[in-house]
Amino acid sequence: MTSAPSHGFDADHTDLKTPQDWLAEFDAAARRPLKTRFRYAFIHTYKPVLDDEPYRAFDTMEEYRQWCEDHLPDWLGYGRI
Amino acid sequence: MAAFEYRQAEEIRDAFARYSVRYLFIGKSGAILLGFPDTTQDADLFVEKSPENGRGLVAALKDIGFDLNQQQSEEIVRGKDFVQLKNGPFDLDLVFAPDGIEKFADAWERRIEVEGFPVCHPDDIIASKEAAGRAKDRESLPRLKSFREYWLRNR
Repeated sequence: MTSAPSHGFDADHTDLKTPQDWLAEFDAAARRPLKTRFRYAFIHTYKPVLDDEPYRAFDTMEEYRQWCEDHLPDWLGYGRI
Repeated sequence: MAAFEYRQAEEIRDAFARYSVRYLFIGKSGAILLGFPDTTQDADLFVEKSPENGRGLVAALKDIGFDLNQQQSEEIVRGKDFVQLKNGPFDLDLVFAPDGIEKFADAWERRIEVEGFPVCHPDDIIASKEAAGRAKDRESLPRLKSFREYWLRNR
């Protein structure tokens, strides 16, 4: 096990492949307390079909993936490429 | 249904601890705990698949307020690979066999603790998304991989 990272204002930006705007977003997130990150990150919008049953269980992940492909609209993005 | 909140994550952490449930935050919710700036709809938990852990899990979920009937409780204890719960105070996905991760024990060894929340290592989060191969995962992977590099450099 490893403890939480302690990144922050003096973040290392030696990675030249990452777009600068992403690095700025990572820095900004690192400055925020976890509670605040939660508030910004978790949203809820209605997802058709997926949100229409209170409980679903699948014996295998393959069964779940197949169910998603068979029943969910493509635009939700649950289909495999 | 409102969005998942920090205090609800605390409820998971505390209830699961009471019943010694072994679990890890995985998926985008796990990445967000590590600092990944993005949005998601619900929490995904990778739960160790064993009858003992399943019994603790059912008890903890009922404590939190999930409305599980006898059959659903038995299914969780017996061990499904994936369970989707929308019958409680927040939406929760329970993943017992995520794509791309061979054993819970391996992911547990690599876990990161964030304010008492056990979280999958970014490598495991990325491996599971790559193996799932869904359109929505493929879209988020480049940024998630960049975040992994950032996280490793600055941890």
